[in-house]
Amino acid sequence: MDQETVRTICYLARLEIDKDKAEKIENELEAIINLIGGLQAFDTENIEPLYSPLEQKAFKHEDIENSDNKKDEFLKNAAASNDDYFLVPRVVE
Amino acid sequence: MSIQYKTISQLREMIDAKSISSQELVKETLKLAESLKELNCFVTMNKDEGIKKAIEVDGTNTSNSLLKGIPLAQKDLFCTEGLRTTCSSKILADFVPPYTATAVEKLENAGSITIGKTNMDEFAMGSSNETSFFGNVHNPWKKGYVPGGSSGGSAAAVAAGIIPAATGTDTGGSIRQPAAHCGITGIKPTYGRVSRWGMIAFASSLDQAGPLARSAEDCAILLNEMSGYDPKDTTCLNVENTNLLQSINQPIKGLKIGIVKEFNLGDLKAEVQIRFEESKKIYESLGAEFVEISLPSISASVPTYYSIAPAECSSNLSRFDGVRFGYRAKDTDDLNDLYIKSRSEGFGDEVKRRILIGTYALSAGYYDAYYKKAQQVRRLIKNDFEVAFRSIDLIMTPTSPGTAFAFGSKGVQNPVELYLEDLFTISSNLAGLPAISIPHGKVNGLPVGLQLIGNFLKEDLLLNAAHIFQQNSEFHLERPSMEEF
Amino acid sequence: MTWETVIGLETHVQLSTKTKLFSRASTTFGKSPNTNVNLIDCGLPGVLPSVNKEAFYKAIRFGMAVGSKINQTSIFDRKNYFYADLPKGYQITQMDLPIVLGGKIDIQTDSGIKTINITRAHLEEDAGKSIHDEFDGFSAIDLNRAGTPLLEIVSEPEISNAKEAVSYMKAMHQLVTFLDVSDGNMSQGSLRCDANVSIRKKGDSKLGTRTEIKNINSFKFIEKAINFEIKRQVQVLESGGNVIQETRLYDSYKDETRPMRSKEFANDYRYFPEPDLLPVVISDSEMQEIKDHFPELPKEKKARYQKEYGLAIYDAQIIASSKSMADFFDAAVQKTKNYILLSNWLIGEISAFLNKETIEINESKLSAENVAVLINRIDDQTISGKIAKSIFEEMCSSGESPDQIIETKGLKQITDDDSIEKVVDEVIANNPDQVEGYQSGKDKLLGFFVGQVMKETQGKANPQTVNKILKEKLTK
Repeated sequence: MDQETVRTICYLARLEIDKDKAEKIENELEAIINLIGGLQAFDTENIEPLYSPLEQKAFKHEDIENSDNKKDEFLKNAAASNDDYFLVPRVVE
Repeated sequence: MSIQYKTISQLREMIDAKSISSQELVKETLKLAESLKELNCFVTMNKDEGIKKAIEVDGTNTSNSLLKGIPLAQKDLFCTEGLRTTCSSKILADFVPPYTATAVEKLENAGSITIGKTNMDEFAMGSSNETSFFGNVHNPWKKGYVPGGSSGGSAAAVAAGIIPAATGTDTGGSIRQPAAHCGITGIKPTYGRVSRWGMIAFASSLDQAGPLARSAEDCAILLNEMSGYDPKDTTCLNVENTNLLQSINQPIKGLKIGIVKEFNLGDLKAEVQIRFEESKKIYESLGAEFVEISLPSISASVPTYYSIAPAECSSNLSRFDGVRFGYRAKDTDDLNDLYIKSRSEGFGDEVKRRILIGTYALSAGYYDAYYKKAQQVRRLIKNDFEVAFRSIDLIMTPTSPGTAFAFGSKGVQNPVELYLEDLFTISSNLAGLPAISIPHGKVNGLPVGLQLIGNFLKEDLLLNAAHIFQQNSEFHLERPSMEEF
Repeated sequence: MTWETVIGLETHVQLSTKTKLFSRASTTFGKSPNTNVNLIDCGLPGVLPSVNKEAFYKAIRFGMAVGSKINQTSIFDRKNYFYADLPKGYQITQMDLPIVLGGKIDIQTDSGIKTINITRAHLEEDAGKSIHDEFDGFSAIDLNRAGTPLLEIVSEPEISNAKEAVSYMKAMHQLVTFLDVSDGNMSQGSLRCDANVSIRKKGDSKLGTRTEIKNINSFKFIEKAINFEIKRQVQVLESGGNVIQETRLYDSYKDETRPMRSKEFANDYRYFPEPDLLPVVISDSEMQEIKDHFPELPKEKKARYQKEYGLAIYDAQIIASSKSMADFFDAAVQKTKNYILLSNWLIGEISAFLNKETIEINESKLSAENVAVLINRIDDQTISGKIAKSIFEEMCSSGESPDQIIETKGLKQITDDDSIEKVVDEVIANNPDQVEGYQSGKDKLLGFFVGQVMKETQGKANPQTVNKILKEKLTK
């Protein structure tokens, strides 16, 4: 895993790594990727992926409203809000 | 009368005989927790509300639930309305949820009292409880040693006798491994048995809640209440709930137990092998039969897990962005800067590592080789179990390759070293199967656990086999000296 | 050099369900900010989605109407990216197994009907809304819209110019409104599209580099945005440059497209199956249930209007082409028997009024019942056609019922011969010169007498009766 890949992955995940830890983390990631690489030894031709241990179908809910207005509780949990909105630094589109 | 180390049944008798009220019991428990603060089992106590609820429960005669008035603790990833829920992370250090997790709600509806939220590995990512923002939890059996993880606070609190039982969650062994390291009993139910609503997700297709307690019987009491259909979680099974206590005493004569050839138990430390062999003998003396079985793909469990779990976690943890709840970094230039700083300052190293691995496994060009491949191998593993369970009733393995270890002694240089701790436990998460860990003696003064894995929805048989074992041995009755605390 | 344009449209249709795609919070438009938001929509830790059945039924109805293959087992995927109004850091959408695959839709072009192929249509959740200009230094986030069900319909790149794109969107609007899949309200964003536009030298088989114009929400803007973008790309290529693949925004004030700044980083969405939702399976009996309750489409409506109500082909076509008009007609025919007069009014007076106001009939103050009553009052000669027009104006502005207007303003038609005869006699007596003129062969003067009688009766006299009596008296 080269530095460029690590940079891209960090950006996608919106994380940054301290410069002094960068090499250590790269090595750790490399070790984990090697561990996962062990998968390649297994023949999975024509094997359907198993995305959930429950091979069942989803329950569908009826289109009937059932919801409380918890606006105040939600806004209270936000680091920045006013009476009506969550606030973030201004975005320019 | 001391309440320390009491089981639920013992506390039940005390309450019913009016030798203690729930209020007194809760107050005693809080006092005990305070005196053992050094263990660092708890992140948040629920003192005032807990006592209030106990007074309420004392005043009602309606419920005849076994849990009425019994103090319990919840792993700090179950949302509890009005009570801080942190996932042992800086990013949620001040988060007070506006709702309660279904599993906790069911336990509280049965009359139990939540006395606090237990410490854990940050976002349940870890096998030693060393990744918590709130510090390490000590193993009650030896100070400076890990309790296991990620449900380390729950396991230590039960092992230290502060509470009779606690909730945990298990994504790759996070109930069973700390139960083993702390000398208590813990069960991970079938995926879908307990609702995940309100349980802060680590890896959605692997996470499952379950109890940790001093005996299989107490686990059954909690699981009876926790499990059940919940339309709010569409991965929750709509199956009839059998009373797990009903069949718990059934004789196990003729029970067929599989020993997995591929686990190469001969490679383990001699003392661990000896414990395992002796437990086999106990089961044989009770009429069980042992059969060697093969799970050909089982060696893929660890790489499969460390591809799937980080992938799901990388996405599940995206909601922690500093916008609607949780930690927000100061002095940010713009929205992206806010995301990057809040997340980088808010998450610890192990969480970051797993998010990065997961992001990598899902990214263009690697998805097929890592994520999809892992899900295909996952099917191979599940198929192996399906074949095996055609000829056996249960599978028996050690819970963990070794015992609890000293703080900072494992995984510091190489995280993979710690990942191998989960060797025996993660396959049941991948396949969605129930599994239990029961104490079966000590190695060098530290407890070791015996794991039983059952077929889909066979919690009744697991608890039955575990209970019969405990009726015929005394490992689960052993207590740490606690002299160091 | 001659250039050829290739356009593909991704249409986002907001489904008219009562609740959200993955939660049971209301989807009602225009509520106070962050009040149509529950735990799930807010993306709180520990919450889980569940699927809205009605959203699936609507998506399937659309698929059936355009002749698609319906995937009775479909799965949801997560599309991962960070944005302030995307609460979970991922959008739940359908990638590999969308509910609707393939299909076609016919559009009107200058050279006749053209068939545009549909690639796929999938269900996904909408994001919230960011408000950038109201608070100093902040963007404000409103999650009311977060989780609203969308059907994203992707066309093949078979649209050749801006006009065809507009026709396509109009056909889409008609279809989704008739199917009761969406309310089609474009000003509220219920129907909007992203246009993928590229140009190539005429005759080239390879597609040119495309740009994507995001979020266009009116027929007028679709045409303008695409035309601007074509012109821009031609200019770029003809001056020796290269078109850059990018996302652009249409600015209707400046009438131009410009690159979106917030999307400047190439993204990798890391799609993977949503582990919180199992596959959604639509049973055969559910499919049958959807077929059994299939709404009437314009073609069928038109035929029924001709057959049941005797409407002329042209009239039936016009009324049946707009969902709101057809609904209005269907409701009004329950209350009147003069179908032809009703249709005449709808196509004439009422349409003229709506066009002038640029509103749909369901946005006006007119009710089907009131219009039916107005027709009935003309039909039973309570009022004349002329009076009816002034009553109609009153109905449009006040929303009052015609009977009430007739009553308060005393507009009831005078039909009895005696009263009219009296007025006619007066008019004849007061205008001897005109009488003489008429009798000496100036037939056209009849109009003058009718006018005078109408003036005297404030227009309330029945014109046929007035004519009849005048002729009798004048020829005596």
